[in-house]
Amino acid sequence: MSEQVVPIDVSQPKQRQPLLRRRYALEVRQQMAWYWQALILAAALAVGLAISALILIAAGVPGGELLNEFVIMTVFDAQSLQAVLFQASPMILVGLAGCMAFRARFWNLGLDGQMIWGAIGATAIVLFEVGPPALRLPLMLLTAAVCGALWALTPIVLKLRLQVSEIISTLMLNYLASYFLLHLLYGSWKDPRDSFPYSPPFQSFERLPEFFHGYSAGIPLAVVIAVFALWLIGFSRAGLYLRFVDANPKVADAVGVPLRKTILATVLLSGAMAGIAGFVITSGQEGRLTQSFYQGYGFSGILIAFLARNNPIAALVVALLIATLFVAGRSLQVFYQIPFSMVQLIQAILVICVASSDFFIRHRLRRVQGGES
Amino acid sequence: MDLIASWLGNTPDFAVPFALAALGLIITERAGVLSLGAEGLMLVGALAGIGAQLAYGSAELSLLIAMLSASVVSILFAIMVVLLRINQVIAGLSLVFFCQGLTGLLGTLWGWTNRPVSGMSSISLWPLSELPLIGKVFVQNPVVYLTPLIFLAVVWFLTRSGTGLRLRAVGENPQAADSVGIPVLWYRVAAILAGAALIGLAGGYLSVLSTKLWIADMTGGRGWIAIALVIFARWYPWRALMGALLFGCVEALIPQLAAAGIRLPQYFILMTPYAVTLGVMIWVAASKRAGGEQPGALGIPFVREERR
Repeated sequence: MSEQVVPIDVSQPKQRQPLLRRRYALEVRQQMAWYWQALILAAALAVGLAISALILIAAGVPGGELLNEFVIMTVFDAQSLQAVLFQASPMILVGLAGCMAFRARFWNLGLDGQMIWGAIGATAIVLFEVGPPALRLPLMLLTAAVCGALWALTPIVLKLRLQVSEIISTLMLNYLASYFLLHLLYGSWKDPRDSFPYSPPFQSFERLPEFFHGYSAGIPLAVVIAVFALWLIGFSRAGLYLRFVDANPKVADAVGVPLRKTILATVLLSGAMAGIAGFVITSGQEGRLTQSFYQGYGFSGILIAFLARNNPIAALVVALLIATLFVAGRSLQVFYQIPFSMVQLIQAILVICVASSDFFIRHRLRRVQGGES
Repeated sequence: MDLIASWLGNTPDFAVPFALAALGLIITERAGVLSLGAEGLMLVGALAGIGAQLAYGSAELSLLIAMLSASVVSILFAIMVVLLRINQVIAGLSLVFFCQGLTGLLGTLWGWTNRPVSGMSSISLWPLSELPLIGKVFVQNPVVYLTPLIFLAVVWFLTRSGTGLRLRAVGENPQAADSVGIPVLWYRVAAILAGAALIGLAGGYLSVLSTKLWIADMTGGRGWIAIALVIFARWYPWRALMGALLFGCVEALIPQLAAAGIRLPQYFILMTPYAVTLGVMIWVAASKRAGGEQPGALGIPFVREERR
């Protein structure tokens, strides 16, 4: 880029320049070695975690307990580790959903809504007793995926056809989905036994089984889908097409890449993954449809995709970390009466720090010599 | 008849938060900054307003504090988009999540949740308030009467004052504005802070004067609806005011329908503001005119001497 800093106004060298530009010039960096990038990213995460730790201490958690609570209790305790992995499976799925959508340059803020519809679809299979018991689980999974994808259909079609901003449309659809969920749970799907606003409990063959002592089958499911996403993005033809969306849509059109179809399919896939996440929570964790099972996941999915730079394997790792945060957040809630909003705040701080660190990767500050102006 | 009268009477109260938030967004976006953080800033205003009201008991002061605190939080956004040039969508979204987390946390920790406050007493404009049917429209709290005046002031500022002209120039073509010596970045920072103050006022109005209590996430998407309103209004303040009245009508209708005993599924009625927003977005997109009135540099960070 521009190596030389051209003075703006030659005739009036004494004119006051804005503060930030007085002695330094910002330049766009062409590229940066990967280890520097990794170092900056790590520094950003460290800053974010430090700020979060300060907030936690200010909120009343004894400073010495933090390490204990977040690291030792969650990773080295078998029961907590189970909880983390349990929590990780829907987290990985929403993270992958975020990755897919962002690959297609689609701001899918509707992960919540798609999760709700996935869960509703799976629960409908249970309540209407579709199919024999042996086929019940696969059928629930399939329906959840289809329902999630269908809920993503409206915003992507509106975007492709009319250029309606998906940021607003997906969010509005979230509100519609959540009210529809309440309509069902306070209405015809209410548990007839105690009239609480949740569906009747699923039977044992409608619940996700364990694949290993105490570890839910949601984990291998999420990993399989992550590998599929990796293949799709990294090695398939669709993945090649998707790179055009990022690089240059006009050239893609010119050389005959079916860009719109690829974007449509990718976004539907994103919706399907979010739908499956809804299924994993209802069938695996709660065992029934509840009214707030989806809360916090939509944002986490976006965060995971952002932190993982839309890479499915990185998303696995980040999702595991966020799941740890969720589990630790719940125990903070129990032991120190810290509201769960803390988890959202910490996630937001991490995003802000990492997003800010991008600045240092993409720019450099150069001292302008005194003689130049 | 009574029903229609009270519906019309409630409309301004519901419209004011939309109107003020949309106006704040227009100021920010006219300077070329895509501001998706409205939902979060409204929450900050709402929480700060309630906190001040509980502490000092003065509604005027609480609204001022609501404006101030939203502006203070928006400094974070200004640093992100103006100084660090983060993608404005990411910056806006993370601001919303940050504010949601922060207000949820503080509201619970400081015990401000669900504590009712008194608000402001309403003023009736005497001869008008006695009119049949529309009389109740003229019995409102002072901020409702203030809102059109704020609009008038902002419209005058944007279209008639030199500073407003420069602000719009910064949003249309920052390179050209820069070349005539306008400090683009400072104008953008000022626009973000000023816009945030109005959005904070909208939030404070919502908690202190309208619902008169604080609940976590009480804005319920109104910030997002305001963003849709600005697109609908094509960045013109008066059209935004009309749109806000439309949404005020829709929201005011919800309690009326319940009161009238009309047997409609409750949750479908609660969906209407969001469904209407979606409909408005589609309508705007379908009837899009060539070019559009969107500020030319909306969402594009300004970097002097950078070639793209």
